[in-house]
Amino acid sequence: MNAELFENLRLELRRGCLILAVLAQLRAEHYGYALRKALADRGMAIDENTLYPLLRRLETQGLLVSQWREEEKRNKRFYRLSSDGELILQQLLDEWNAINSSLKRIIDGEAPVGELQLERSI
Amino acid sequence: MELVDRYLYAVKSGLPKGQQDDIIAEMAEDIRSEIEDLESGLGRPLNEAEVATILEQRGHPATVAGRYLPQQYLIGPALFPIYLLVLKIVVLWVLVPVFVFVVGPIAIATAAHPSKTLIKTLWDLAMSQVFTVGVVTLVFAIMERYPVDARPFEKWDPRRLPRVPKTVPDSRPTPRSTAIAELAAGLVFGSLLVAWFRTTFDFGGVHVTLAPIWRNLYWPFLLVVLSSVPKGWVSLMWPARTRLRFGIRAAIDTATLTLVAVLLNAGTWVDIAAPGFPAAGIAEAVKWTNLGIKITLVTMAVITVADAIPEARRIFRKKTSWNYSIAT
Repeated sequence: MNAELFENLRLELRRGCLILAVLAQLRAEHYGYALRKALADRGMAIDENTLYPLLRRLETQGLLVSQWREEEKRNKRFYRLSSDGELILQQLLDEWNAINSSLKRIIDGEAPVGELQLERSI
Repeated sequence: MELVDRYLYAVKSGLPKGQQDDIIAEMAEDIRSEIEDLESGLGRPLNEAEVATILEQRGHPATVAGRYLPQQYLIGPALFPIYLLVLKIVVLWVLVPVFVFVVGPIAIATAAHPSKTLIKTLWDLAMSQVFTVGVVTLVFAIMERYPVDARPFEKWDPRRLPRVPKTVPDSRPTPRSTAIAELAAGLVFGSLLVAWFRTTFDFGGVHVTLAPIWRNLYWPFLLVVLSSVPKGWVSLMWPARTRLRFGIRAAIDTATLTLVAVLLNAGTWVDIAAPGFPAAGIAEAVKWTNLGIKITLVTMAVITVADAIPEARRIFRKKTSWNYSIAT
């Protein structure tokens, strides 16, 4: 029960991080398998059944561009970040850093930084 | 590589049309790259069992293809609570009451074989529910794919919510078991009354005949017996609406007391005929049977009143105020 619960929460936690990792890695052009290996080599292993549908979704959203090209006598699909993708990646990284800092303050039990900010539009 | 081809062919059949070739080409390249990677590590070609293991690890073709489908659910999490609410309203609050209070009683009252009609009505109700669930699900599935802007649960204004009453009734919810028992009792006794009502009974040569008053009061009696169905229904659907429940109950109790009063006024309720038995004995039997019925009717009236008093006191006792205010 605990192992299953942990696995579910872990997957939930990883889901958003994977998008960030893929976008960041695709600042340089990669084809699918090379991207998978590059991410795994950096400690962010992602299985092919998650990666390829994700790449397609991000491309549909305009964050990636892809191109079929021959390399070593084989056709491969290369992905890289689009200009919109670069913008979104920067915004997501800022958000990620803010979340990380907040989490660190919460975990370390530090005092609040400022007044509570209501994010709701009134 | 026949295994890989078979695998890709199986995956392809489950992929969205128009993207099949593109996805399969990329997947084939990925599998080939992985196999080459492993072969270069081992320094030899992979055998069939090793290729099979790789494919097995990638997952069943249907599962793999499913990841590329645009949507994995029929009704998404945003619409699902509203879907459930609509289902509940349509199936429980509309369909069942219409059958129980309108379609069923009319069909049974006008039927040549009431018990058969009752079973048929229940079957029709079940079929209607299945059909309704199907239609509602279809409508929501369409809404999920072609979302409309004016979703009523997304556009709302807190200022249009009803005001909190200054006092709220002290109403403990009616237990579900009570509600179900009332519903069942109404349906069962109502059906029995419809199916087996007679005015004469034969006990081995002794003929017991009910007085005409019983036939005259047949329909009011049936109505009172069946009225525990709406009472049970209200208790089941809105267990906290004890005042509504009490209102129905008060009406039923009033009707019961009226019926009892009319019956008591009749004075004689049964007649007994038994050819071959002494007349004096039969007269005694008639006298004591009628006395027994009189006592039963009076007891029934007393129990009706005694049972209603505690509930009335509970319903109309001092009200409690709203305790959750965060008004500033």
